[in-house]
Amino acid sequence: MSGGAGTPVAELAGNPRTGEHGALSCGHPVAFSPAALERFEALLTRYPTKQAALLPTLWIAQEEFGWISREAVDYVASLLDLAPAFVWGVVTFYTMYNRAPVGKHLIQVCTSISCHLAGAEKVYHECRRKLGDLKPGETSLDGKYTVIEVECLAQCDKAPAVMVNGDDYERITLENLDSFLEKLK
Amino acid sequence: MAKVTVDGRTVEVPDGSNALEACRAAGVDVPHFCYHPRLSVVGQCRMCMVEVEGMPKIQASCTVPIRDGMVIHASSEKALAARNATMEFLLINHPLDCPICDQAGECKLQDNAFAAGLPVSRTSEPRRQFPGYDRTDIGPHVVADMTRCIQCTRCIRFCQEIAGTGELTFIERGGHTIVWTHEGRALDNEWSACAADVCPVGALTVKEFRFRKRVWWLEKASSVCDGCDVGCNVSIEHRDRVVHRYLPRVNPEVNDFWICDYGRFRAEGLNGQDFLRPVLRGASGERETNWGEALDSVKGAVDAALAEAGEGSVLALGSARLSTEESWLLARLFGETLKGRAELTVDDGELRRIRNPKARGSFEGFLKGREAAPNSRGAEAAGLVRAGKDSALEKLLAGGPAPRVLYVADAAFTYRVKDPEYVAALRRAPVLVVHARTRNALTDVADVVLPVASLAGKEGTFVNVQGRVQRFDVAIVPPPVVRTDLEVLLHLGRRWGAFDTRWTARDIFERMRGSVDGYAGLEWDAESIVGAPPSVSPAAAYDSLLAEPLSLPELVLPAAPAGGGAK
Repeated sequence: MSGGAGTPVAELAGNPRTGEHGALSCGHPVAFSPAALERFEALLTRYPTKQAALLPTLWIAQEEFGWISREAVDYVASLLDLAPAFVWGVVTFYTMYNRAPVGKHLIQVCTSISCHLAGAEKVYHECRRKLGDLKPGETSLDGKYTVIEVECLAQCDKAPAVMVNGDDYERITLENLDSFLEKLK
Repeated sequence: MAKVTVDGRTVEVPDGSNALEACRAAGVDVPHFCYHPRLSVVGQCRMCMVEVEGMPKIQASCTVPIRDGMVIHASSEKALAARNATMEFLLINHPLDCPICDQAGECKLQDNAFAAGLPVSRTSEPRRQFPGYDRTDIGPHVVADMTRCIQCTRCIRFCQEIAGTGELTFIERGGHTIVWTHEGRALDNEWSACAADVCPVGALTVKEFRFRKRVWWLEKASSVCDGCDVGCNVSIEHRDRVVHRYLPRVNPEVNDFWICDYGRFRAEGLNGQDFLRPVLRGASGERETNWGEALDSVKGAVDAALAEAGEGSVLALGSARLSTEESWLLARLFGETLKGRAELTVDDGELRRIRNPKARGSFEGFLKGREAAPNSRGAEAAGLVRAGKDSALEKLLAGGPAPRVLYVADAAFTYRVKDPEYVAALRRAPVLVVHARTRNALTDVADVVLPVASLAGKEGTFVNVQGRVQRFDVAIVPPPVVRTDLEVLLHLGRRWGAFDTRWTARDIFERMRGSVDGYAGLEWDAESIVGAPPSVSPAAAYDSLLAEPLSLPELVLPAAPAGGGAK
């Protein structure tokens, strides 16, 4: 018997785990930049416990690293004195933490009811087709685009709504899709 | 204390109890999965629904703190309808694989589903699958099968609150939720198999026990783990003279609900029995013999030593693995009757510990063991002398005068018997007698090997690190010619007229009460010594703590943790 929570699963014989629900590795240890660390320290003062600061800390991690890798989970867990498993459980509960690398432009097409009625499904499919027959959530080969389907962006009056990274785009239809994608380049 | 009325029956329960505990105290067994007396209350499973007067909605009883005068309807139509609805939801995705599931027979879902009596499923959709997360090792001792999981979070809370390691978590959400570790990590802590114990279904099972035996075939005997001096209460689960597993027996004063993996998997070791007959070794080689000849030869050697070298020429080495009764016999026989010395040496153990903030002698929430054997305190109280400076053993090891006869009452009394030099030093005694179950370096050189039974074949008492006397019972009858240490010592002692061979451990226990520290006034059958009976199901081990208030109306819920274990 070897020690504690850190035993690599590889030591366990015959583990056929696919990693489908597990954190992907980015292949190297990660750490916050000094600026991010400063933000993190400021964050801690606003919460009663370290655990309470988990969600915003994960946001910082996502901004720093682009996505939440296994190493990022370990790093955040060590910052907040939490178990890595707990952190990963939180990451998988929420949809807006990226669990794999995403493109430079994360195109989030709303397909909730208003946008759906305004033709968002077609926009979603056409957008993926134009960017290289991407599957949902897939990143284009040049690493520039990832297209995902999201729930309501609170832009129902401007449906179909699309969000690219943090920016809202209104009334993206099949007609103006080309110029929309052109703007992203 | 607060008075609570459950289904028209009024019981008094301690303040801080919850409605589920009050129901159980009133003899109403509300089905539940996520509630566990030592884990925080989460109200996760929604199974323990009851009606509480004054509350408009139906309540999960484990989440309702009791108030004085509270009136609970645990079996009303509304409560039953809610519970049956929960059960139906749970069964939508639970595989119907009880025939191949190792938990069958001690599965709370099986029991509760049977009790609910919903024989027909109203769904026809295929059941949820988790490829890659079924029948998969999640740790060195635990196999996980997420298709069976009912998301009660007991294992997650066990790892967070009891083990303090937090390996497990919910991954994903909604219908995709699985309990798993962080990628690349194993469920590996000192008590990992307890996570499988608390699992009410077959989602986590113990790898070493899987498919060994259907649980309803197992017979259970109360015993005490001999892995260290914490003395965790265990039930030896056996069948056809084979020990299949240990389960912890609940003892709120010692191991609570838990047992460490090291102790739990010592069960396997109880099945080894290398020596089935006494062995005599001489110039003409080694031969098996009968007990009469073997013990007569020991008597002959001891008598010769006493005649030639006088008092003090015989040394008996006890062991902290012997029961106090056996140690007492050894001390009486060799220390008094034969005017020799009866000594004891104990290995310092790896630090074993068990979570129990309430136990006397615990610190940092753990009860910690100090030695690698269970009974040095009892052995010393019974009269064995701990080998230190100037002891006969130390002199023997240091090359000083050797006793004429060295009588080792446990061939595995120290790990140092693996060291050839240590064995050679012991072998300097002209006559070496050992009690042994399994072969080791010492039995290979001994003149007389007396075959003795394992812990599973013995009864007696141990004194643990808290000074607590605990009784262990016979689980399996040893093989035909093999005897217990106690019987061997009695028959040997009879040869000098010291003992009566009809004595049982209980007789000796009663004889010891007058002279042995810590045993005064104790009763062999006292609850404080015997502990709780083995539980039918490890997932509901607390059943054994709860008396049946229906037949014994004066009994109320015993000391459950305040706030339902939230602390």
